[in-house]
Amino acid sequence: MKIWGMVLGGFPRSRYARYALRDRERGVIPFKDDVEAIDRASVQVIGAQLAAGLPVVVDGMIDWHDIFRPFVDAWRNVTVDGLLRYFDNNFFYRIPVFTGEPDPREYVTPRRVLRFKEVADPATLKVVLPGPVSFAFMAKNNSGLSNEELAEKIAYILRDEAKKAIEAGASLVQVDEPFLADIDATRDHARLAAELVNKIVEGIEDKAIVSVYFNVPEPSVFEELLNTKARYMMVDVVDAPGRAEKLIRGTGFGSHTPVIGAIDARRIIDDKPSFVEKFLKMVDAGVDEVVVTTSTWLDLIPFRYALRKVYVLGRIVEELAEKNGYEAYTIWR
Amino acid sequence: MAGYEVPRKFPTTVVGSYPKIPPAMELIKKRRSGELSEEEFRKLIKGPISEAVKDQIEAGIDIISDGEQSREDMVVYFAERVQGYRPGDWVRIFDNVYFRKPIIVGELKWTREMIVEDWVYATSISMGRPVKGIITGPYTMMEWSFDLKYGDRRELIIELAKIIRREIDELVARGARYIQVDEPALSTRPWREEAELLKEALDVIFKGLDAKRIVHICYGRLEKIIPYILDYPVDQFDLELKNSNFRLLPYLKEYGYDKELGYGVVDVHSLQIETVEEIKGYIDMLMKMDFIGPEKVYVDPDCGLKRLPRSVAKAKMRNLAEAAKLAREEW
Ligand SMILES: [Zn+2]
Repeated sequence: MKIWGMVLGGFPRSRYARYALRDRERGVIPFKDDVEAIDRASVQVIGAQLAAGLPVVVDGMIDWHDIFRPFVDAWRNVTVDGLLRYFDNNFFYRIPVFTGEPDPREYVTPRRVLRFKEVADPATLKVVLPGPVSFAFMAKNNSGLSNEELAEKIAYILRDEAKKAIEAGASLVQVDEPFLADIDATRDHARLAAELVNKIVEGIEDKAIVSVYFNVPEPSVFEELLNTKARYMMVDVVDAPGRAEKLIRGTGFGSHTPVIGAIDARRIIDDKPSFVEKFLKMVDAGVDEVVVTTSTWLDLIPFRYALRKVYVLGRIVEELAEKNGYEAYTIWR
Repeated sequence: MAGYEVPRKFPTTVVGSYPKIPPAMELIKKRRSGELSEEEFRKLIKGPISEAVKDQIEAGIDIISDGEQSREDMVVYFAERVQGYRPGDWVRIFDNVYFRKPIIVGELKWTREMIVEDWVYATSISMGRPVKGIITGPYTMMEWSFDLKYGDRRELIIELAKIIRREIDELVARGARYIQVDEPALSTRPWREEAELLKEALDVIFKGLDAKRIVHICYGRLEKIIPYILDYPVDQFDLELKNSNFRLLPYLKEYGYDKELGYGVVDVHSLQIETVEEIKGYIDMLMKMDFIGPEKVYVDPDCGLKRLPRSVAKAKMRNLAEAAKLAREEW
């Protein structure tokens, strides 16, 4: 069995990136300086992923205020409103407000891929997109469309986004649907999500990941989501390990390559290899590939500990590969 | 201490925090930078506490607080005083705004009184009114800190509970009759296993305690968490209701709620001052649902008042007290 590691999503800001953004907001420094500071922080986090041997890396999305914001900024007919708690985190996102059918002024991810793919070499870049169901159902919808119709419109934009990112050189496209792990998520949400993900990743199914985190989805919800054609399926097993185990043993990953979110991205203590191993053992009989990842984005912990988590992730993948006779896939092998 | 009779029906109270009254913020900063010692800080913070107490008494609140004038943040305050914590590292709250989330690096230990002195002082000037002893709960302390030491949530929450119990024992020894544990983090994670984890910790905190045992929970998914907490070893849940438009009430009735209720009737996130009639209407609404008696209902704001301007906070308290008075005549 082949095993490899990747970071699920964005990184926290380095101190200097934080200062640069603040100074730019205050008008103390020009736009260019703030972009350069963000670029330097991005290079830092890409470097950390390379040092851990990760074959697929993210640019860190250092400048994103939350998962929706860059898309809100890039589309017409959507703006932002007040703050709302982002799931069970002590972090708040700005509520997107749709006032009409969203319409892209520009694409968010392709130019990032072009900017960072050389820095990422010899690894390749993954891009992360907000799932259309999470986007639509966590927004304020004054568009005149139903939430379902709005999600579909979003999916059409994200389909072009994904296609262009791959053309720019991204190796993977990840669609995040954390809303499906929410206590209010239903089968219908999951059915819609699966259908829309299939639209987004049409033609690139083999390079597509769907991820669900912050909690374990209900089995009935997850079953529906398994109907997506994306090759990889990610589940957060850290937040409620007992329920995660039940889901994996009961429902499983269907025909998808499991992506196990076993490196705790919300706590800073080092992860135990035995915890990760336990979940690998649950899936390793039936599959020829497993991915180990962080339980969510790394942006909810301080910068230095995010770097530490990347190191721990790389180390655990290698250690468990050696111990269990798996084939470790890193930038060195 | 002069006797003060807390009304038998619809006593009024507060959740705890009050707007910071100058120079409280300045004193907190000087304490943090080391410019003031803990002793000097405690002495100087009495000024703002006396103002907060005065406002509550003038507004007609029966069971008051010290206004939490010493506490800038409900977790950081204790993290700065419990052994085993170190100052935190920066994490984002929203956009490019950050706070320092405390980190547990060593064995946690109670080493000194943390809230007793403020409580004693507030009590000395309360004109006989009981002062609630209010402390951040173990679940919230755990969830809103980082842990580099324990690595086991159950072990950690029990350690925190022991420290909180120790502080509460000091309070009760000094005569505190009302003890409130604040757990805003619980409703963000409304799962049975989380509620059960807190229950174990509350057993440590409240077992055999000779005082009114209160837990305050607010916002988030309260209706999901209620069924899991009904068997908690507490006398009262103090709940936010107004902000969520009282949608919780039918659930309380359905679940056969039989504890006392801290009934949040004014919104602490809104500058609009609820009128006496409005608040009286909320009390009437609860009474008409016919699952709880007036002697079990403590009328109070949804949550701490600290984010409001002082004048708005005081006006909200005054109307709340006035409405409770009217309700007493009717129910
Ligand atoms: Zn509260």
